[in-house]
Amino acid sequence: MTAIIEVKDLVKVYNGSIRAVDGITFEVAEGEVFGFLGPNGAGKTTTIAVLTTLLQKTSGECKVCGIDVSKNPTEVRRSIGLVPQEMTVDDDLTGRENMLLQATLYGVEMKVAKERIDELLALVKLEEAADRMVKTYSGGMRKRLELSEGLIHRPRVLFLDEPTLGLDIQTRTTMWEHIRDLRKNSNMTVFMTTHYLEEADSLCDRIGIIDKGKIMALDTPIKLKESLGGDVISLKISGETDFTESIRSVEGVLSAKREDGSYRVKVLNGETVTAPLLHEISKKGGSVTYVSLERPNMDQVFLEYTGRSLRDAEQSGSYDRMAVAERMRRSGS
Amino acid sequence: MIRETTALMVRELKHWYRAKIQIFMLLIQPIVWLGLFGQALPLQLPPAALNGAPDYMSYMSVGMLAVTALFTCMFAGMSVVWDRRFGFLNKLRAAPIPRGAIPVSRILAAMIRAVISALMVLLIALIFTHIPGLAGLTVTSNFDVMSALGMLLILVLLATAFSAVFVAIALTIKTQETLFAVINLLNLPLMFASAALFPVNSMPDWLQAVAKVNPLTLAVDGMRQLLFSGSVGIYPLWVDILGLLAFSVVLVVIGIVVAMRALKEK
Ligand SMILES: Nc1ncnc2c1ncn2[C@@H]1O[C@H](COP(=O)(O)OP(=O)(O)OP(=O)(O)O)[C@@H](O)[C@H]1O
Ligand SMILES: [Mg+2]
Repeated sequence: MTAIIEVKDLVKVYNGSIRAVDGITFEVAEGEVFGFLGPNGAGKTTTIAVLTTLLQKTSGECKVCGIDVSKNPTEVRRSIGLVPQEMTVDDDLTGRENMLLQATLYGVEMKVAKERIDELLALVKLEEAADRMVKTYSGGMRKRLELSEGLIHRPRVLFLDEPTLGLDIQTRTTMWEHIRDLRKNSNMTVFMTTHYLEEADSLCDRIGIIDKGKIMALDTPIKLKESLGGDVISLKISGETDFTESIRSVEGVLSAKREDGSYRVKVLNGETVTAPLLHEISKKGGSVTYVSLERPNMDQVFLEYTGRSLRDAEQSGSYDRMAVAERMRRSGS
Repeated sequence: MIRETTALMVRELKHWYRAKIQIFMLLIQPIVWLGLFGQALPLQLPPAALNGAPDYMSYMSVGMLAVTALFTCMFAGMSVVWDRRFGFLNKLRAAPIPRGAIPVSRILAAMIRAVISALMVLLIALIFTHIPGLAGLTVTSNFDVMSALGMLLILVLLATAFSAVFVAIALTIKTQETLFAVINLLNLPLMFASAALFPVNSMPDWLQAVAKVNPLTLAVDGMRQLLFSGSVGIYPLWVDILGLLAFSVVLVVIGIVVAMRALKEK
């Protein structure tokens, strides 16, 4: 594998105190779809900003297409495309005008640009709306326009910062299709970030789980799930008594963790262990109020490596950022 | 460089003419000023005190042209702040274009807008003179092609100087609120400490000293000499023009340096 993105011990400290990225090291191979999965504030956007030359790193080494991003930012800019997290398409231009401007900024020849614009607008199904002002577009249409803008100069590496943030399930699925198509039809490398587990799971060849500026795990979705080693039984037991020890004593139980009244029990085989486990608890006088058996999924992978569930991690700063950005945009124009 | 700069400049201008309301607001202001303010302030001064203008309204109309150019340039800063807010500026920073294209395209677009606005005000002032009950600009010189080119040159230089200043300020300042504060801090002093609305002779000495080096003064002084026969300028015409040229060159250079620093990655 030839690495097209190489990051070594990257650190970014904001204002001398906020360690947004705290010493991460990873490589992305040419042609790969690589994803950063992490909650709000994990450092995903910061990493992308450094790799796309928008931000000066504090320390470490970053190369994109073999070029050092700090030493030769202009060269790097030529070979990458960026679809940023916030929507940057210009409201007061039409979709086509936005694309033309982008083509000019990336030095695409006018004739070639015109052809590609038609092609790309068809790809993201915006032909009909192409000559309408972008301010009449829905959020999903803007995102799609943004994606096609990022593709106009056929970059070797495309950075997608939360490509489906704020989109409904249907539009999100369409977006996934677009990204899969890209992968099928070209050798473009995609570096994306997301905080949707299903998205990382279904799109990415490899996933880096990032939390608080650190990479907690990095592998293919399948291996990450396998690494959990078997199934997970979640239990709730009423009362204050700690049953962790009794649970651990049951045959087939790999480990057990208690978190305010609920237990996460890793077992080799859920089907055969559940009955003896429940029996053991009731024998010790516990009354089980909830039980569920889950095969490993990305949410559990996340929980395993960061110690909290992604949904909890999101709770802290959770609000619909898209809606907020949208409101700001509207009130301003 | 030229292709990207032009494309960005055209984007700015498209924004402008598509926001019809903005143009309307811009024109409503001088109309109100010429229509009301001018009537309410019928300064009875002899042409000698008015730079050769036949009446105060003619004198003030010329000032209005320059002030309109100033205001238009100030508001060019707003769009810069919006672009930062919505990430468009970052998109430009990520693009493989010479960074200089960003301030240069803005300055050019602001300059063009300012000149067009000033010319529209000129047209309004010229029409107003012919409407009974209203007053406007009465031209008394032998206005020829050279005078027209002179006027245009003066407006272009003035607008270039101011747009460079405000584009640089807007790129350095990150928020709309601060930009408004700075604009408010600058606009009235710039306008009143100049010969735009009132003759400098009637000002106290210290104000006169400031007014005499204000680019607005140079611009109106030059334009009045082109528009009114027998106008004795504060400076000779060529000094006005050279002064404006110096102002715009220096301010554009400073503006671009400041802008490039503001666009650097942190
Ligand atoms: N310009 C800045 N100045 C100071 N701190 C910043 C700045 N930008 C980001 N941070 C901080 O750095 C940390 C990482 O932010 P970053 O935007 O990289 O997170 P993220 O993973 O992209 O999150 P999200 O999912 O919300 O987009 C956060 O704690 C954030 O508050
Ligand atoms: Mg982010």
